[in-house]
Amino acid sequence: MLDSRISDSVVDYAISLGADFAELFIERNQVSTVATLSNEVQAVRSGIDFGIGIRLVYGFKVLYGYTNKTNEQELKRIITELATKDLRDPITQKVNFDYRQPTDHHPAVETLTVDAGIESKIAYLLAADQSARAASNMISQTSGSCLQREQHIELFNSEGLHTEDTRNYIRASLTAYASDGGEQATGSWNDGGLRGWEIKDDINAEKTGEEAARQALVNLSAKACPSGRMPVVLGNGFGGVIFHEACGHLLETTAVAKKASVFHDQMGEMIASPVVSAVDDGTMSNEWGSINIDDEGLETQRTQLIKDGKLTNFLADRIGAAQTGYERTGSGRRQSYHFAPASRMRNTFIEPGDAELDDMISSIDKGIYAPHMGGGSVQPGTGEFNFAVQEGYYVENGKIQHPVKAATLISTGPAVLKEISMIGKDFSLACGMCGSVSGAVPTTVGQATLKVDDILVGGNA
Amino acid sequence: MNQEESAAVVLERVKQAGAEGDLIIDEGESLTLKTREGELEEHKVSSLLIFGLRVVKDDRVGTAYSEASDADALASMVDQALLNATFAKVEPDEKIAGNSGQLRTDDNVLCPSDTPTIDDKILFVQSMENELAAKDKIKNVPSNGLSDGINQRHVFTTGGLCASTKQRHCSAASFALMEEGDKNVMEGVVRVSRQFSDLNYQEIVEGTYDRCLSLLDGTAIPTKHYDVIFDEDNQTSLFGIFSSMFSAQSAKDGVNPMRDKIGEQIADTRLNLSDQPLLTDGFGYALFDAEGTATKTTPLIVEGQLRTLVHNSATATHFDVITTGHASRSPKSTLGVSLHQMHIDKGTDSPSSLFAREYLLITDLSGLHSGANPISGQFSFGASGYLMKEGERIQPVRNITVAGNFYDMLKKISAIGDELYWDQYRGSLMPRIRFSDVAISG
Repeated sequence: MLDSRISDSVVDYAISLGADFAELFIERNQVSTVATLSNEVQAVRSGIDFGIGIRLVYGFKVLYGYTNKTNEQELKRIITELATKDLRDPITQKVNFDYRQPTDHHPAVETLTVDAGIESKIAYLLAADQSARAASNMISQTSGSCLQREQHIELFNSEGLHTEDTRNYIRASLTAYASDGGEQATGSWNDGGLRGWEIKDDINAEKTGEEAARQALVNLSAKACPSGRMPVVLGNGFGGVIFHEACGHLLETTAVAKKASVFHDQMGEMIASPVVSAVDDGTMSNEWGSINIDDEGLETQRTQLIKDGKLTNFLADRIGAAQTGYERTGSGRRQSYHFAPASRMRNTFIEPGDAELDDMISSIDKGIYAPHMGGGSVQPGTGEFNFAVQEGYYVENGKIQHPVKAATLISTGPAVLKEISMIGKDFSLACGMCGSVSGAVPTTVGQATLKVDDILVGGNA
Repeated sequence: MNQEESAAVVLERVKQAGAEGDLIIDEGESLTLKTREGELEEHKVSSLLIFGLRVVKDDRVGTAYSEASDADALASMVDQALLNATFAKVEPDEKIAGNSGQLRTDDNVLCPSDTPTIDDKILFVQSMENELAAKDKIKNVPSNGLSDGINQRHVFTTGGLCASTKQRHCSAASFALMEEGDKNVMEGVVRVSRQFSDLNYQEIVEGTYDRCLSLLDGTAIPTKHYDVIFDEDNQTSLFGIFSSMFSAQSAKDGVNPMRDKIGEQIADTRLNLSDQPLLTDGFGYALFDAEGTATKTTPLIVEGQLRTLVHNSATATHFDVITTGHASRSPKSTLGVSLHQMHIDKGTDSPSSLFAREYLLITDLSGLHSGANPISGQFSFGASGYLMKEGERIQPVRNITVAGNFYDMLKKISAIGDELYWDQYRGSLMPRIRFSDVAISG
């Protein structure tokens, strides 16, 4: 996408200004979105993002710039402006570019370059809508979306790296709205992957509609949630957001290097219950959070974060590795050329155990069963997190009683990891978008159903 | 080509295809500086130019955008928007608004001249971190930065409109981690201005330190219902999350519970809420909306009664009213509706009555994006703050949740203060409001 002679000249110029390291990240991102509202097409949108990110590193200091312009003069102007306070005699030499094409572990067939497949996507979303509204006349409407993008990246750096990769993302989702005339409630379902629209052959519009409608109807009938400290059983798949928020962010060197993570000095220590083993894996074939190479050009990996409760690894990008001394893990990620890369999660999950759901529920005197979780957030410094329950039930005397609404779970990462007492066998993954210092990147979360013995539940009963 | 020339080429191609259209061009330049342990950790320079086109042909709407500005890319954008329109449903309400002529904001007001050097800015962020880090019990300063940028927006239409605005935005923020024994807390302060010289890092340092110190010993309080006052930042967040209650787009889409409540009493009779886009002290200032419609003050709740929803030209046509100038659209999105700058009139309660007896002052809310349902009004957030009595702090409070129904809360207002406050992002201007009987879990 960028003439290698220009890249050569620009990187050479950056090194001549005394930078330890210089990198060009060129991105062309083609996007197509189909949105439906009930049984009608609401919008079809498309566009091209294009730009170049320039990263200069002096010691641990990162200088970053970006532009839409591709001419050599503009790229050098940005470098000059960035380096103005750090100019010094060259301390390293640029290595000649050595082009390497990474192995593609995530093949895609029906890509945007081949065909946007608009009519097929519309048909899928309308079928999902029909299925949702067939579930009950209380399903008042649905909103659907199918987002596909084809991101082509190319990297040049002063260590001789020249590589490129193409990532095809697809995500289809439906939200159902249930109404009984007064109250309204929602339910949703989505599927996605690092692949093309051929995903349609593996997902089912009818089931998507049925599940979104089921959740909305359950929530419509939900009662106010009791509050206070109590045990909670978290469902599989997106229930893994608890680990993502409570622990995963604290294991990124972005937080560790700043000592803004409570785990920064606990490598090798027991930070979780012995039943907890956790992984961040960028290599899983065609999964939403997977990559071939990270956004620094390094081949990605599978990283064991916690083994039997013991902290075994952090997620490290180039700068994080230099700051902390831990090895890079192929986790340097960014939303787009607007961002310098940072250590980020990929497909993050707690490994399955052997407990049964019935045993988890029957062990509870008074608590909550939350088969579907909503989003959440964490404050890295203290590990305080919160997340919303999308579908929840009150449990009393070992039995599920009734649905509850507007529940929020509050705790801290270190506390909740030690409160996980039982992990089931029904492991699954779920797609999400994770926002952090280098923008929003596709990640999956995952786990089997698990029990947390003590957590603060916020409700309004 | 400059932006006017590019717009002329794009819109001519739209007209030749028998369509009408409007083109948004967003331009921006910014500088961001962040420090860590006294050293400059991030120095970011950017320039951005993006074109976003909306076309209407045969009552069907299509959009497309491009970050490439060469002639081929712009022509491709037009063709893609026209193609996208062929898949869209017939939408007779959505036309290109019939605005024409020229609108331009005043650079002297929104883009005041101020020419600090890069050294001035680096010294500012370094001093901010160093002074904060040197304070007692501060372990480190995980987030400490400054940004300075200029954003421009141009709206052009096939009907001949040319509207432009240019605004400068400087901001500085510092968040510190305080530790003592096994207790810790992370708090911070943000300040925004149109001039670098108006930012005062010492105010941010003192504010952040005070927030940390006063919350460090916070503990949960017994679960029960309390009277609650949110500080200006969190009150703005709370009203912001539920602001879709004013959206005619949400009403049209069937997801606004206020749709059929215009003229009805939805809040305490002392509540007067409006949108005031022309207050130049705020960063929600807008001379025109995303369709190029000139804005004005719009009363939304008057003496507790819902007066109107906010409209773009399409929702206005749908509901057979006149647009209120609240069209929103980024170059990458479709037409929507949003508020510019929320304003609540000051009330009559003096501090002695507003702060009477026991109440909870909430200074932090967490889980805002995931813990609220704007359709039902239900919410449940993590919270911190202070248990107060007669305006004095009784104890700091942490690890609690606040839950309830926002639409019910609007009817349970027990007092409205007689002073107005901008939130720290200067996006809304409101008095303090005391809500009675709010569920708190500790």
